[in-house]
Amino acid sequence: MSLDTRPADRPASTRAATERPRVTARRVALRRLVGTGLVALVVGWSLVRSLSTDGALVNTGGLRLLGRLLAAVGDPATSPDFLRIVLDAALTTVVYAALGTAGALVIGVAGALVLSDATWRHPPGRVVGAIRLVLRGMLVGVRAIHELIWALLFVSVLGLDPLVAVLAIAVPFGAQTAKVFAEILDAAPRHPVSAMRASGARSAAALAYGLVPAAIPLLLSYAFYRFECAIRSAVVLGVVGVGGLGQEMVLSLQSRNWDEVWTLVAAVVVLSGVVDVWSSKVRGDLAVVSCSDWSGGSTGTPRGNRSSWARWSAVFAAVGLVAAWFASGVSWAGLVSARTRELTVRLVDDLLPPALPPGGWSVLGGATLDTLAMAVLAMVVAVGVTLVVGPLATRVRPVGTDEGAARLTRAPRLVGRVGARGVLLVLRSVPPTVWAALALLVLFPGVLPGAVALGLYTGGILGRLVAEAWESMDTRPRDALRAAGVRSGLAALVAVLPPSSHQLVTYTLYRFEICVRDTAIVGVVGAAGLGRLFAENLSVFRFSAVTTLLLASFAVSAASEVLGRRIRRAISA
Amino acid sequence: MTAAGPAVRLTGATRRFGDRTAVDAVDLTIHQGERVALLGPSGAGKSTLLALLNASLRPTSGTVEVLGADLATLTGPALRVVQRRVGTIGQRLDLVDQVRVLHNVNAGRLGRWSTGRSLLALALPRPDPVVVSALEAVGLGWAVHERTERLSGGERQRVAIARLLVQDPELVLADEPVSSLDPSRASEVLGLLRAATPDGTLVVSLHQPELARRHCTRAIGLQQGRVVLDRPADELDDALLAELYALT
Ligand SMILES: Nc1ncnc2c1ncn2[C@@H]1O[C@H](COP(=O)(O)OP(=O)(O)OP(=O)(O)O)[C@@H](O)[C@H]1O
Ligand SMILES: [Mg+2]
Repeated sequence: MSLDTRPADRPASTRAATERPRVTARRVALRRLVGTGLVALVVGWSLVRSLSTDGALVNTGGLRLLGRLLAAVGDPATSPDFLRIVLDAALTTVVYAALGTAGALVIGVAGALVLSDATWRHPPGRVVGAIRLVLRGMLVGVRAIHELIWALLFVSVLGLDPLVAVLAIAVPFGAQTAKVFAEILDAAPRHPVSAMRASGARSAAALAYGLVPAAIPLLLSYAFYRFECAIRSAVVLGVVGVGGLGQEMVLSLQSRNWDEVWTLVAAVVVLSGVVDVWSSKVRGDLAVVSCSDWSGGSTGTPRGNRSSWARWSAVFAAVGLVAAWFASGVSWAGLVSARTRELTVRLVDDLLPPALPPGGWSVLGGATLDTLAMAVLAMVVAVGVTLVVGPLATRVRPVGTDEGAARLTRAPRLVGRVGARGVLLVLRSVPPTVWAALALLVLFPGVLPGAVALGLYTGGILGRLVAEAWESMDTRPRDALRAAGVRSGLAALVAVLPPSSHQLVTYTLYRFEICVRDTAIVGVVGAAGLGRLFAENLSVFRFSAVTTLLLASFAVSAASEVLGRRIRRAISA
Repeated sequence: MTAAGPAVRLTGATRRFGDRTAVDAVDLTIHQGERVALLGPSGAGKSTLLALLNASLRPTSGTVEVLGADLATLTGPALRVVQRRVGTIGQRLDLVDQVRVLHNVNAGRLGRWSTGRSLLALALPRPDPVVVSALEAVGLGWAVHERTERLSGGERQRVAIARLLVQDPELVLADEPVSSLDPSRASEVLGLLRAATPDGTLVVSLHQPELARRHCTRAIGLQQGRVVLDRPADELDDALLAELYALT
């Protein structure tokens, strides 16, 4: 008689372990070779596709304009009237971002309560299971469509209402937040809640006492991270015409008031820099989690100590939200008016059934391939930016033994780091719409300008993510090698290169998935791909084609997400 | 307190996890006021049996009657009414680390509080006499506003007992409450548990026969989900225990 049946499981697991194919050096080398070959193939194809246009690539006339723009950098517009406009626009952007984030949090909390297992007393039954499956599918669909596309759809129903900007941020961000919040809740220990329920507590009370306190640091931390992203989105949405810094930028670019462009760039960089610094301080106090964790899809660990900085920030955010609500003049009235209802019905009616855009499958297929090529080339640019700027932006922890040497090189390193971070900040704060407008001055519309614009923007984000990941990397192997007398350059090469290149690859793949989605932005301003086709068809109210394009974008981003996740898992295994 | 009648009555109570039977056709009656020691080797089903008694698990078959109510047929508010009369200290204590001690103690009263009152007490913490006297009874009067994760293992255990005191249950279930304590501390904790339900019923799983003899009136031995031993606690002897824990 055995006391326990557990030991019986053991042979099975040992068998599984031995059956796993052994990783040999040759296998690793082969895998790398095949991987590198595939990447080279895909990049080569994208390059060929982007370069094979009928006409010229470079617009020599635009070069002069770009020269004038660059010449104006020393002389930004500073007239009081214009500064007032900039300040107004900046406020509008902040208000949109704040209200959009708040909306996303409401959607996120509601969605997470349904999606998380931790909030249910019993394992959900068939009905709840079905509801959750449908909800999950809807959220994936909502997330796959870019904020800008949402904004365009909302504009066609609501007109140029501030509500458009708020909803365009709240809806897709809310879908993402619901997913992350559900993961956070599920990662928290569940037994206190079950214990409270077992002593007769009601569900809401048990969750408030048992689950929320454990999850709140991570939930708040994520909320602040979302606000950072929302600021950038609110700027991008300006191109639709709902106001804010993004709209002013587009206007100044169109009227070629280069001095104004620089003032606005400075405003955007300062705003986004301040929010980034504030938010990362709060997040650092609340939980051990970095941007790269949030975007890489892992939840961090809450910090034990209470931070008054974080608490005051939360209070400030709450007060700010109320102020933003009143300042914005956003009202729900537009949402429920008879006109909106009528237009919504008509829009839905127009959207269905889907039909091919003019030109048929070949145009649709061409645009899809353009979108992919653009995303690939954008990532090439972004990785280039990261490789050049990233190492400079990374704080290298000095080795304990040679303090003196570290002090000697400290000042120039600091200057380099601040400069590099500034470059990354500028790259990611200036919206891709503006990068695209600049690229379109010099390059004729097509895949290439879109890829350059998106690549510069993504480079700013990827560079920050990777630098952050590099900073938190374990340096003990390097220090151990140095202590063993290995020369410092060699030690760094051997101990630091493999893990840091691994991180670069992981985040590049992850950002690629987002980049595919982001091609919509540069498409809308005229580069190429599905986004451009979308904007063209929407502007002539060909809604049945719009539906097809939405479906195609969804398919492309879903496919790239699945593929990306596969590859990331294969690499980390 | 409700009319006399058994505090617990199991008839053919069975609980399976997949193809593993954790509690196997147990027939058992525990009368009010009895203090029962639950003994048995690891995996014998002690925790599962206790979970059946506070309805955090339902039996796969058979019935579980607790304080006169058939737990399998009850749901929602009717079930909560029974559950709030049953207090549990789990193997992991089930405290929330991130909140003040006060809230962990108040968690014992959530069954009697409305949702609004519960949330208010969480938002505006105010130590009322019930909480303070419960914490003083376990020697933690100073810790009302302390963060729970700062407390030591023994202090955390006494917070869990204070939670039980404010719940004021008629049936106390304790799952290995003294497994990590030295002998004199262990006896002290069992004394506190007895005080938590002066004339109620106590079911406690233990591995120490001398504590069972000292604090309990009845000893029940489980092996592979079956009751294999059931006699007055003072009849426990080394031979019986050797047989119960034997690795046969
Ligand atoms: N949630 C569960 N899922 C699957 N199997 C479970 C679950 N809970 C308990 N079991 C199994 O049921 C059996 C009895 O477990 P139980 O935890 O009740 O034992 P125990 O007597 O409390 O042991 P210990 O002294 O180690 O705490 C074990 O074989 C265990 O693996
Ligand atoms: Mg147990």
